[in-house]
Amino acid sequence: MNKVVSPKSTAKSIVMRNTFPEEVLEHVLSFIDSHSDRNSVSLVCKAWHETDRWCRRRLFIGNCYSVSPAIVIRRFRDIRSLAIKGKPHFADYNWVPEGWGAHAYPWIAALAEAYPALEELRLKRMVVSDEALELIGKKFQNFRVLVLCCCEGFSTDGLAYIAANCRNLRVLDLFECEVDDMGGNWIGHFPDSYTSLESLNVSCINSELRFSALERLLCRCPNMKALRVNCTVPLDKLAILLEKAPRLMDLGTGLFMTELRPEVYKRLAVAFSRCKEIRSLSGLWDVAPSYLPVVYPICPMLTSLNLSYATIRCPDLIKLLTHCQNLQRLWVLDFIEDRGLEVLAASCKDLQELRVFPSEPYNQEPNISLTEQGLVSVAVGCPKLQSVLYFCRQMTNAALFTIARNRPNLTRFRLCLIEPRSADWQTHGPLDDGFGAIVEHCKDLKRLSLSGLISDTVFEYIGTHAKKLEMLSLAFSGGSDLGLHYVLSGCESLRKLEIRDCPFGDRALVLNAAKLETMRSLWMSSCRVSYRACKLLGQKMPRLNVEVIDERGPPESRSDECPVENLYIYRTVAGPRLDSPGFVWTVNENWAMRSPSL
Amino acid sequence: MLESLMAVVKPEMKSYVWLQTVDGSIQQVEEEVAMFCPIICQDILHKGMGSSKNNAIVLPERVNPANLGLVLDYCRFHQVSGHSNKERKAFDEKFIRLDTKKLCDLTSAADSLQLKPLVDLTSRTLARVIEGKTPEEIREIFNLPDDLTEEEKLEPLKNVTDDPRIRLLNRLYARKRKELRERGKMKNAEVEEERVDERSVDDLLLFINGGKKEIKVTKSGKGKKKNRRRKDHTKGSSSDNVNENHEKGSNGIPLSCPDGTDDDELDPAMKEQLDREVEDFARRLNSDWPKRMQEILSLGPGRSPPAISIGGNGSAA
Repeated sequence: MNKVVSPKSTAKSIVMRNTFPEEVLEHVLSFIDSHSDRNSVSLVCKAWHETDRWCRRRLFIGNCYSVSPAIVIRRFRDIRSLAIKGKPHFADYNWVPEGWGAHAYPWIAALAEAYPALEELRLKRMVVSDEALELIGKKFQNFRVLVLCCCEGFSTDGLAYIAANCRNLRVLDLFECEVDDMGGNWIGHFPDSYTSLESLNVSCINSELRFSALERLLCRCPNMKALRVNCTVPLDKLAILLEKAPRLMDLGTGLFMTELRPEVYKRLAVAFSRCKEIRSLSGLWDVAPSYLPVVYPICPMLTSLNLSYATIRCPDLIKLLTHCQNLQRLWVLDFIEDRGLEVLAASCKDLQELRVFPSEPYNQEPNISLTEQGLVSVAVGCPKLQSVLYFCRQMTNAALFTIARNRPNLTRFRLCLIEPRSADWQTHGPLDDGFGAIVEHCKDLKRLSLSGLISDTVFEYIGTHAKKLEMLSLAFSGGSDLGLHYVLSGCESLRKLEIRDCPFGDRALVLNAAKLETMRSLWMSSCRVSYRACKLLGQKMPRLNVEVIDERGPPESRSDECPVENLYIYRTVAGPRLDSPGFVWTVNENWAMRSPSL
Repeated sequence: MLESLMAVVKPEMKSYVWLQTVDGSIQQVEEEVAMFCPIICQDILHKGMGSSKNNAIVLPERVNPANLGLVLDYCRFHQVSGHSNKERKAFDEKFIRLDTKKLCDLTSAADSLQLKPLVDLTSRTLARVIEGKTPEEIREIFNLPDDLTEEEKLEPLKNVTDDPRIRLLNRLYARKRKELRERGKMKNAEVEEERVDERSVDDLLLFINGGKKEIKVTKSGKGKKKNRRRKDHTKGSSSDNVNENHEKGSNGIPLSCPDGTDDDELDPAMKEQLDREVEDFARRLNSDWPKRMQEILSLGPGRSPPAISIGGNGSAA
């Protein structure tokens, strides 16, 4: 845009300014929701940048160390809803040592000062202490939504504090958290005057939930939409809960087993048949098959069914699934077997997401007939299938071809062959071509996990075709640095890369160093990256944090050529972090920098 | 013109109001249509304005004859109570088919007239224009200046697969691979227990085409994290040495070169140029790195420096 001040251009710029005045921009922006679009808006020009400063209400931070609370607070004046992710995904499999970081307290303390009007906080893979929860209860008067996913570090005492102090709480959802049991009756801490609860998910809490307190809570909260109890809530009490909250849309049961008593059965059946709005069903620990039919009345309306804790065998599963014609998402154990998946493919034509988990991952020869055929049936039979997570013990390239050709609309494909380096059992060769077909046909593929016998060839396919791929997970794959080089140089949209036990070393990393700044993070464990390469990267790339995570002691105590145990590289504008524990070295121009504390 | 309009008095005695836009021009508009705008409505009812040309309602400065026309079209349709929701939606969808400049202009006018439904409609449309676009594209569409400083941007670097050095390397690998393919394909694998990282590029490419392979069967679960109760992940490892016949391409996926070039057509001069460029690139790269890194990159003992010199390997050139 020219800066020459002529009468004509001044007039033009006046006109330009007037056609998009502040209020109009604010109004337009209020209809722009997605984080990536808001980020683009923020980078258009000074005027928009400034408007976004005042108008931005929702913020997503994909890596808590990529930015500091101070920077966020300086940039945005009035955030009401914040989502932060901490540890990398491999932490779910215990590959990030305990104490690595991702502490929520410093964030919450800073937010408490800057954004007293904060209403929503969603944290994933962070360490949340009871003190942090207390701070939330104390400082945010209008706090409404707390979602903790895969978090740890807090106890029922912290929850008690939230219950007692957050008068406007609508949502308390804990997904897969580790919660310490301090006894007491934390649910009882919701005051009698408290009536605004809409969603309560405590399925991951292992300790006893005081049933009477839960029941009373439901009685006085008329807007309950979602309730997921834990396995300590017995089946014969479930009916009582359903009777108190018949408008539930999302139900997570407790233990689904008790001795067969006709009056219990009847009460349950009636209660379920009255719940006309349930769309999502989960929980179902230890199912007693004779009780399963009580849920049949709600099955036709179900869009989401999570049976990943349910010990239901194939025949009962099949019966259940034939009632669920509108199912869009199914999470299930491998008890479903190939024949169950065939029935699924025939009954559930709206299926979009399938996850099949192993019931006995460490048992080499379980008595379960789940093969690649099951996945093929679903891929062929369900035209809307987009997202797959499949654990199994065998695969063929032919099966992968069939899947790829039938389902070019796949966006997430995670195949987990339980035995590392399992070959195509028909050809005894690698699965390169099969996965190659997947990336070639599924042009919108965003997430991919490879497993089985894989050579560098597949990475060439991936680098060539997987242009929309954002996240890639590798284990025991590839043959050389070339594999990593293909991925880093070819995958334009790559944001997250996590690797374990692959023969990738220094060359590919160093050559593609600039690429790392365009990604959120790279995780490598048990690979072949030397400490020297880490130092090089840390030196050359000031906007990357290069973390060497090694429980064997300081990397300086070993030779520079020695491969590091774990490497975590992520882009950041906050510089090296100050809270690293003893086994993390952040490498930058000061060589290995370790924070003095801890 | 307007006086003659006045002379045509419909039986229903439709009344008109006078509106003045920023350029000074005055229009006569059906009262019921104009009243749909809250600002005009107020002026008529509370200030008794608009009844004649001399008493015209002065509209906010962001309203000009062009966008006023559009606003009134909108009002004229929507103020009629008889339309169904479906009809209104259909009208709206047709109505907003304007270029972005007009949309911006219209939003501005509607906003100053406090006509919320129209502001929402046009704002939503503009939001859809903005969605999915990069900052550059948005600037282009709305003719906005690129005046943010680097610091303010802290923009992630653009994707670097366009880096000519990367492209060069890829081309190089492709060429080398072709040569090796021509020399002869599958070799039955001899299994190696250990692989040292000081391999030459030759060895790397040989490997891809069915050369040496390492097979180790270790039991290690990548089970779903929900099975965290069984925390143990690694069992004892057993190594199996297996002969592998790597049949590449047996299932027929055409393999395209990473950057789509076919090196068949490279004439010797080009090849030499390529070799020189690569040597140069390697030198530049190496000059930054500590000596050991250079050794790692070199072709191993007995080959001439600098690293990655394909020309010296007996390729046809």
